Amino acid sequence: MGQDSEWQPRLLGFLCRWCSYAGADLAGTSRKKYPASIRVIRVPCSGRVDPLFILKALRLGFDGVLVSGCHPGDCHYQTGNYFTRRRMAIIKRFLEYMGIDPGRLQASWVSASEGGKFAEVVTEMTQEIRELGPNRLFTDEERDNGTKTAP
Amino acid sequence: MAPTDCLPMKNGIMEQRLRREAKALLEQGKVSCVIGFEAGSLKFTTTPLITGDKDDTQRLVISPFMANNLSVFLTGVKGRVAIVAKGCDSRSIVSLIQDNKVVREDVVIIGVPCSGVIDLTKVEGLVGKDRDEIADITRDGDKVLITVNGDKRECPVQEVLFDNCLACEMPTPQEYDILLGEPTAAAGDKEKAKSREKINSLETMKPDERWAFWRNEFSRCIRCYACRNVCPACFCERCFVEETEPPWVLPIPRWQDSLMFQVVRNLHVAGRCTDCGECERACPVGIPLRSLAREMYDIVGELFSYRAGMDKEAPPLLACYEPTDVEDFIR
Amino acid sequence: MTAKKIARRDIADLLNEWSREFGVFVPSRDEGVAKWARWGGGDAGFLEWYRNTVVPPKALFFPPLEEMFSFQKDGDGYHVGQPPPTEDRWLVFGIRPCDARALAVLALTFKDGYQDPYYLARRKNGVLVGLGCTRPYESCFCTSLGISPTDAANVDLMLTDIGDDFLVEAVTDKGKELLSKTSLVQAATGADEARAEEARDAAGARVTRKVDSQGAHEKLRAGFEDKDFWERVSAKCISCGICTFLCPTCYCFDISDELVKKQGARFRSWDSCAFPLYTKMPVENPRREKWRRLRQKVCHKYEFYPDSFDVIACTGCGRCIRLCPVNWDITRVLSSLPAQEQLRLER
Repeated sequence: MGQDSEWQPRLLGFLCRWCSYAGADLAGTSRKKYPASIRVIRVPCSGRVDPLFILKALRLGFDGVLVSGCHPGDCHYQTGNYFTRRRMAIIKRFLEYMGIDPGRLQASWVSASEGGKFAEVVTEMTQEIRELGPNRLFTDEERDNGTKTAP
Repeated sequence: MAPTDCLPMKNGIMEQRLRREAKALLEQGKVSCVIGFEAGSLKFTTTPLITGDKDDTQRLVISPFMANNLSVFLTGVKGRVAIVAKGCDSRSIVSLIQDNKVVREDVVIIGVPCSGVIDLTKVEGLVGKDRDEIADITRDGDKVLITVNGDKRECPVQEVLFDNCLACEMPTPQEYDILLGEPTAAAGDKEKAKSREKINSLETMKPDERWAFWRNEFSRCIRCYACRNVCPACFCERCFVEETEPPWVLPIPRWQDSLMFQVVRNLHVAGRCTDCGECERACPVGIPLRSLAREMYDIVGELFSYRAGMDKEAPPLLACYEPTDVEDFIR
Repeated sequence: MTAKKIARRDIADLLNEWSREFGVFVPSRDEGVAKWARWGGGDAGFLEWYRNTVVPPKALFFPPLEEMFSFQKDGDGYHVGQPPPTEDRWLVFGIRPCDARALAVLALTFKDGYQDPYYLARRKNGVLVGLGCTRPYESCFCTSLGISPTDAANVDLMLTDIGDDFLVEAVTDKGKELLSKTSLVQAATGADEARAEEARDAAGARVTRKVDSQGAHEKLRAGFEDKDFWERVSAKCISCGICTFLCPTCYCFDISDELVKKQGARFRSWDSCAFPLYTKMPVENPRREKWRRLRQKVCHKYEFYPDSFDVIACTGCGRCIRLCPVNWDITRVLSSLPAQEQLRLER
């Protein structure tokens, strides 16, 4: 949507409703500057994030996915973010094994009062994704419609 | 301890005991159904036998070709059942118990000490003949005798066992009600590295090459879902691929969608997969699915020292946590 | 028609010749799995190992995935694009009699009432060169379905393996035309034709799996409500799609739309009556139970399709038996169908 055709990183963020989403709101109201690269989906808890969502985001062409939740010990649902922690570790390792740069999936603990941290996270992540380049994992013009094997 | 269960004599004894026990369980009304193996309709094949008829128990067999993981049938039967389980199968049963899908008291586990199942694809590769053109395959201790056109050929059993048998961590079930024979050692004690050969070679590739490899493999996928349906860990009544609102993954065999399906499937069964190898065996188009499943198994083992199906009291991997879980990757 | 023959070593040249006019598809191996692929020149090495492919040649006519049309959305609504074009002229070399017969069985459905443009366009432009079997699988049972491993029906040209040569017969006008245009064939001698006869008998004798396909119809009809039987034989099925996808006569498909931003496409892809959700509707699912699905599958092939089209929707290729992860065997099921008298007595 930029004026020039130069690629800009597009990030998808899953922010937990109680901490990270509030933190992101605070970043806004505090007028913290950060790149307009992230689109946010609010989830009740970071533990809601199914590996499916992350793969779907990559499939759709997002260049990076951020999963952000409450700090350990502060989860509104007591234990949700502990499971997130385990899950994200597994997903990152598995994506790397598949040949996907693990830097495309990032996680953070951002509390409701950490507006500054949220802005920092998005700024740093955007720069890292910019260096990784656009996500072309699932594009393949030649094979895209799958009909090349048939006459 | 040398493998003791593979001699025909021993097999015969285990088999007779199995038939006796299974029949008795049905006769005494202790179970309503027995799940085991019987001779298949193709050479060197067994097929699941699921029956409530005590006379059918005469058909039960113990065979070096009994590859199926029968625990996949546990989530479909009602009442109390008896089930024949090799070591790996018993781990799947324990994993299902951990997940609360199976109640321990509802299964009578008939444990079979197993020192490996023969992979017919490997035998075919060794002798250069299709399986129905091989006259005989017999296991004799740690050797396998293959007869083709009257010529006998011998090879060490490790050359023709399934890859996951080479990495076997539980040849003898630890959770059982009846154990059919003496505990045995895994045939592949020294072969664990061999079972990871394909994975290791993938790990040495550059990320782009790895992705290209999987992209190529999944171009063959026809979305038959055999991999999912043979897997005991995949017991969802409605799989995510069957969801149409929203359509997470289209049911079409495009490599992007097929690859996404398999990656998410492996992530969903993380910590519950016991590396039984059935997914790869079932795939009709030869996609090396175990190279995904085993990698996941090892990731989980490395990150959390967790192995599925070892302890029925333990909570499932992703239903518990440690304060010391790795989090150096989290900002 | 006088029989001709072609030397085995000339097959590659023949395929090269034909490639100038047609898109040629031959058996090939991908990671050890036999499938159909475009002929890319080289030697005809597949002749040494080819028995039959895993995915049947129906996939060339009725692909596992095909784009029906694309569309774009703008202010006015949807603009629909043409479906991707199919090849003008193409040729399948090496199709087995079971698979060729299966195409004829499929055609009955794709022409019945609604003419399926996708299938029929491919079929019209496709030339079939059949190759008789020499090494049927233990899972093959074509001889029980009224054909043989060397049956020349349903193809344009038929090759029979007689060692150093192949006997070549034109079956249709298309086939005659093809033969007349190549100089690689010579006249076959009486001895050649005798060898071909021997080869046919030998191949037929190798098909050891048998089933009473004709008798199945009545037993299936009489035993339709035999829930115990169907529950028993379906217990080990895991409801995957291997048997139906790899069956050369199965034709069920699903239609999916994909819209991403403002453009998309409608796809047709293989579906299976074995899947639990196959008959799911908003109100109910008439075949929620596995035994109902298996009963339907068997009855469709051996009872309902014959009722509609006078032909059994099975050609004995055996792929379902060979590749089923639990060794479910339709020939065993058919052989164990209770006899009519048994059922009457039980009632």
